[in-house]
Amino acid sequence: MKVTVKSWTGVATWRWIANDDNCGICRMPFDSCCPDCKLPGDDCPLVWGACSHCFHIHCIVKWLHSQPQQQCPMCRQDWKFNNK
Amino acid sequence: MASKREELEIYWNKINYAYPILNDTLFTDCSDAEYEDIQQIIVGLGVQIKIRDLILVHTEKYFRQHVASSFWSKFIKTDEEVKGFQLFKSAVNDLYEAMASFSPMITRLTILNNSCCDNKPIYGERDVMSGIKQLLRATLLSQLPLDFQVIINHFYKVSFNVFDNAEYENSDMGEDVMCSGCWNEYSDCNCSYIVKVFHDTNRKLVELTLLERLTGQVLTNFIQQRIELHIQKLCTGTFDVSHISFLENWLDTTVMSWLTRIYCAGSSKPHRVDKDIQNAVSKFKQKLSYSLYHIYTKLRIDQLFNIIIVYPDSQPAVDDIKLCLDKTDLRATLCKKLQNALETRLLHPGVNTPDILTAYISAIRALRHLDPSGVILETVTKPVRNYLRNREDTVRSVVSSLTEEGAGSELAEELAKFAAETDDELEKEEDWDNWMPDPKDADPKVNGNDRKANDIISMLVNVYGSKELFVNEYRTLLADRLLAQSVINTEKEIRYLELLKLRFGESQLHFCEVMLKDVSDSKRINALIQQDKNFESLNNKFSSNAMILSAQFWPPFKDESLELPDEIKQHFEAYTKSYEALKGNRTLNWKPHLGNVNIEIEIGEKKLDLTVSPFNATLIMHFQTKPEWSLEELHQIMKVPLIILRRKITYWQSLGIISEKSTDNYVLVEGSDGNKSSCSTNQVQEMICEDEESESVMASAHDQREGELQVFWSYIVGMLTNLDSLPLERIHQMLKMFASQAPGTECSLQELRQFLDTKVRTHQLVLQAGMYKLPKT
Ligand SMILES: [Zn+2]
Ligand SMILES: [Zn+2]
Ligand SMILES: [Zn+2]
Repeated sequence: MKVTVKSWTGVATWRWIANDDNCGICRMPFDSCCPDCKLPGDDCPLVWGACSHCFHIHCIVKWLHSQPQQQCPMCRQDWKFNNK
Repeated sequence: MASKREELEIYWNKINYAYPILNDTLFTDCSDAEYEDIQQIIVGLGVQIKIRDLILVHTEKYFRQHVASSFWSKFIKTDEEVKGFQLFKSAVNDLYEAMASFSPMITRLTILNNSCCDNKPIYGERDVMSGIKQLLRATLLSQLPLDFQVIINHFYKVSFNVFDNAEYENSDMGEDVMCSGCWNEYSDCNCSYIVKVFHDTNRKLVELTLLERLTGQVLTNFIQQRIELHIQKLCTGTFDVSHISFLENWLDTTVMSWLTRIYCAGSSKPHRVDKDIQNAVSKFKQKLSYSLYHIYTKLRIDQLFNIIIVYPDSQPAVDDIKLCLDKTDLRATLCKKLQNALETRLLHPGVNTPDILTAYISAIRALRHLDPSGVILETVTKPVRNYLRNREDTVRSVVSSLTEEGAGSELAEELAKFAAETDDELEKEEDWDNWMPDPKDADPKVNGNDRKANDIISMLVNVYGSKELFVNEYRTLLADRLLAQSVINTEKEIRYLELLKLRFGESQLHFCEVMLKDVSDSKRINALIQQDKNFESLNNKFSSNAMILSAQFWPPFKDESLELPDEIKQHFEAYTKSYEALKGNRTLNWKPHLGNVNIEIEIGEKKLDLTVSPFNATLIMHFQTKPEWSLEELHQIMKVPLIILRRKITYWQSLGIISEKSTDNYVLVEGSDGNKSSCSTNQVQEMICEDEESESVMASAHDQREGELQVFWSYIVGMLTNLDSLPLERIHQMLKMFASQAPGTECSLQELRQFLDTKVRTHQLVLQAGMYKLPKT
């Protein structure tokens, strides 16, 4: 008997490579989207700070707008975007 | 004194000469001139009243002893219609003649009575003639025999047949040798004689004022019978034609003109303006049209289940019932009977859920049309809703028929219709001019507007409870469908999703939107990754694709382990690398047991092109490298629990490619054995389709049915003892036929297969080349 695979369709789930499961601001899973978005992933990406904390981009931007100081909400260090 | 006595005797003889009835006979030669003298004598003696009363006493006696008994002697109980016809005719004739022979006496008696000044009514009547007729009637009826209706019935039956036949005369005369009016041969047709006798007899009865009393009840019964027969003949099995105006017309023309002819002695219209006859006829007509509606409605009510099933083709029949319900009092009967029919024909384990749903939808439509208030619908279908609520596959059936084309497309159409209607909905204002109160059998607890406004889909959703439950079930169904199909018609799914969103609201269905977007994104990502240089060499061997899902938005998956063959794992690792490069900071978690694989198997001289699950592909690939495996070895290499392995390997057993050599030892069936396996490629393909569909990969599956299905086991053992070996479908059919009445059980093909597979695993059954057998003992 000879078995030839002609095509193989697999199933996978995608996830963000982050050191936590949930966004520290909106408490939603990173793999879901922020409360303002409908679609996860490309449409609601994550960003990392210099402090290595990460958030939904929309969440941290909204946070920074509402604060007088530009600090990471988790560690209170000055916030800097880290394009890793 | 003696001369005075002699004189009186002469007078008495003269009176007897003029009134022979005093000697109980009617024969006399007395002329009118002679009577004038005799009348003088009576008046002279001043005995008018005494003589009159004496004559009446004797007439009464004569009627009783001679006329009535000879009339009734002809009313015998006979089965022969023609004999009955003749008997009744001659009875009426004789009676008429008997009355005629009274007429000289009646003339004299009238003169006599006029000379009486007591103004006493004669048997309740003012004139002698009517009084005598009244006496005759009373005397006859006082002697009414038990079976007097038999020959009267024959008489009218024979004559009605002639009239009824005249209506259809032109239809198919040529073919018959027999006249269908009188059942004689055409050359010998008796119809005109029957018509003549019929009119003659009726005229005589009218003259004797006996028609109504003698024949009224018989005619009513008889015509009702004819109406019933006529309706039954007309309305069997056809629901797509309205019969009511045809029936009304038939009643008006054939029946009523026949009846009028009876009352008016041959004329089809009451020619003289005779109020009594007109009244009698119109009263008769009222009675008969009520019978007509009543009989017709009852017949239709008995057929209502079948009428509903084929609605809207049966709309004419429903229209008829609607019209008749207003003219009869059969509303409650209708509800009760239809409810019973639904329960006995629909609500038992032998009927599968989609069929119940289809019938329910038809019922909703038909009953809405029948009774726009929605009350009948609500009352009648209550048991259906209760029953559906307790069936576990109801939601799934509704959801799948909502989104499927073809057989179950009625709901899909309904969904599309709803989308089109919602726009106008707001503009619809209360129409006070056409307001109608709720019918008296309406449930006061239910708002009438709710009852009317509920569309079919919400009626189905309400069967089960919440909108959320429906939407969740839809999500699971969509997930299964997206994962099961190798080619996905995303456009179609998006279209349905848009319709569902209109119906259930945007927020409820947001998850499904993401799922569909995952599918189309995956296509794009696949295309990009295929272009990746690192992937090219791998792809030369076979193409690999991925469905990349947003886990948070899909229903939870069943957790199943499966260790894939190394070459496949390499593929996936390379794929993951490409993905990570494409989408920064993101990676993939593979679900190795999900997906589908297109493989080609060359065995002997045969080639099989199969689409199978990753498990089946992995398993058969291992048998390619080594033709014999123990279950334990397979467990080690595939990391699949023994119990699942044992169950799933039956797929290859059923194809005749792998067999169980000894307990838990499996071997490849090579060469000639493999050729013998009875499955052609086509059959194989079919079986795979089923295989892919039968199991949901979602965690919501119910696994506890096996225990319940145990009821079927004794039937299956019986079948296989008698018939040796049977394929799955045949067992399923036979169970449906013989075992479906067992309480609380129904069994789909998939369920049965799973159940039989457990029996194969526990060695209570053997599966060989698609046939189930009992193991040899
Ligand atoms: Zn967030
Ligand atoms: Zn967002
Ligand atoms: Zn930080």
